[in-house]
Amino acid sequence: MMKQAPERLTALLDECKTLAFDLNFTYAKQWKSKSKYRLLVGYLPIYVPREIIHAANGMPVGIIGVGDRKQIIKGDAYYQSYICHLPRGIIEMVLDTNLDTFDGFLFPSICDCVRNLSGMFKLAKKGKFSRYFDYPQNFEKHIGGTFYRELIETVIHDMFLINDMKITTQHLNDSIALYNRNRELIEMIYNIRQEFPWRLSAVDTYHIIRAGMVINVEKHNEILEEIVALIDNDFGEPMDNIRVVISGSFCEQPPIGMIKSIEMAGCYIVDDDFMLGSRWINGGINNTSADPLNEIVNSFLTQSAPSSAIYDVGNPKSARLVSQVRNRKADGVIFCAASFCDPALLDRPDLQKGCDDAGIAHINFQFHENTGQFKVIKEQAGTFSDSIKLWV
Amino acid sequence: MSEVVYTMGIDVGSNFIKLVLMEYSDNPKLIDKHTEKIRKRNPTQVADEMVQIMLDKNKLNYEDVVYLASTGEGDLVKRKRGHFYGMTTHSRGAHFFYPEARTVVDLGALYVRCIRINEGARVEDYKMTGQCASGSGQFLENISRYLGLSIEEVGEVSLQATNPEISSGICAVLAETDVINMVSRGIRTPDIIKGIHLSIASRVIKLLGSLKAESPIILTGGMALNKGMIQAIDETLKEGNKKFVIHAHPDSIYAGAIGAAIWGGYRHFRLLEKEKQAVVA
Repeated sequence: MMKQAPERLTALLDECKTLAFDLNFTYAKQWKSKSKYRLLVGYLPIYVPREIIHAANGMPVGIIGVGDRKQIIKGDAYYQSYICHLPRGIIEMVLDTNLDTFDGFLFPSICDCVRNLSGMFKLAKKGKFSRYFDYPQNFEKHIGGTFYRELIETVIHDMFLINDMKITTQHLNDSIALYNRNRELIEMIYNIRQEFPWRLSAVDTYHIIRAGMVINVEKHNEILEEIVALIDNDFGEPMDNIRVVISGSFCEQPPIGMIKSIEMAGCYIVDDDFMLGSRWINGGINNTSADPLNEIVNSFLTQSAPSSAIYDVGNPKSARLVSQVRNRKADGVIFCAASFCDPALLDRPDLQKGCDDAGIAHINFQFHENTGQFKVIKEQAGTFSDSIKLWV
Repeated sequence: MSEVVYTMGIDVGSNFIKLVLMEYSDNPKLIDKHTEKIRKRNPTQVADEMVQIMLDKNKLNYEDVVYLASTGEGDLVKRKRGHFYGMTTHSRGAHFFYPEARTVVDLGALYVRCIRINEGARVEDYKMTGQCASGSGQFLENISRYLGLSIEEVGEVSLQATNPEISSGICAVLAETDVINMVSRGIRTPDIIKGIHLSIASRVIKLLGSLKAESPIILTGGMALNKGMIQAIDETLKEGNKKFVIHAHPDSIYAGAIGAAIWGGYRHFRLLEKEKQAVVA
């Protein structure tokens, strides 16, 4: 008889599911309401150094779209039809009350849409600061590193002006330690799923990671610790599915129905770039340094995950994708980018060529975060799965 | 392979669940088959009960079956080893009935799908009806119910048509309105039914044309045994001067389940082979 998933796991997954799609950020707002010195800093995909916000007595809150959970009425008026869906939903939240009580917003440099969005936030006078986070594309420490450090210091100053909290070395090292543990636990979940993907579905994993973007890291770590312990035990039954890596969904998030459809079509998703910001830094950051800010800067320069948002001379993304497929023992890649996502779609041909050269099977499709019909995607994923199972 | 290798295939459709037990070999044999209408029951439970009944009937345990494969709405089947997509399984099922098959037309409850296959039953290309239900078995069943017929009767009734009235082939809502108008105009039931068959047939022929289909064509799915449907396809093909040989096997409703069971067996031995290679490496 198949061993059932533990009840405690089901309860934790339900909790994460509720948290993940709370577009009113209730948990974060309640957390802030407990002290006037607490800050809420919203950030857009993909990555921000959350440690600095945490060290400044703040909670970094991921604003990664509304999915299919919010009707877009006003947002469509702000963007042309050839722009992706993500900023429309976020503007809708800005114009409604979803982002009230946030103190500031960070817009990592991904594409022009996000750059424009940062301007719209300023015009809408949301929060006390809105800062476009223009990441260095030069990875020389004395050039890109210096630039990046100044950028981070500007944000630290923005936060200081609000709550008068000075970040100490100890504060920042403690925050780094917490986020190191967070990344480590997430990696442990992915590693367990690599071996036993039937124990935790890709949708459940998605909810767990997304929940972490709207709660404090301490609480998320508690949840992750419990989940890792629970899924380390044997339950469920393996299916004869293929194993795939999903690439291209790092910014606008795919609808849950789409992730479910891919799994139902016979594909175990053993790795992905959903909510890549949570896993951006590969490995830990030194948390015993006398200059922890320098450690954060260096981690970006030397430990960043491959992404369409950064330059890759000397470390080609296609080669890193191939390594990821090999390490995860995946059978193929599903290129799954949001419609009109320039960074993902411009990178795709090169990534596909890398897969072709390495003999890795792949398919591709596009989505909107509010796509409601998955018939075609299910068909493509289903036939991809069958072709690998029977003929590759 | 000296011992008997059992595989099962279960095809969960929107109205019916089809289950087969097969003896897998290079020349697979159909041992047992069963169809169950879901009605308003829980499909997961119905599927599970069907599997258990078939195992008991054949004095087998679940562990004696090397691969139970689902197809169709396979996520509703909890006890299984793997899932194959409908197109892959219908193609293999059609090939099981007619090894010379080059085109498969799956006349399902929710859509019609035309599939071009190679000599090994591998899908080469396909075309299918879009979102609208007007080219589907479910639509035909709804209309027959409005007209007081059971789905089993529509084929025979259609053959009695003398002056068929064509309904909309694009939209189920328009087609239903057409049928209401036909009834109020006193059009005979056989002529209405034949008109619907012709409308579906014309959609099938268009799909076959865009697919560059090759003969012979094998009909599978729930509507494949509907004599009226076969006649309508035949007539429409002749009208268009298209020379295709069409086959519909008496067990064509099981094509998906049979295909799943056969691919399951194939996959079982493929996995064994991979395991052996891994041990050697």
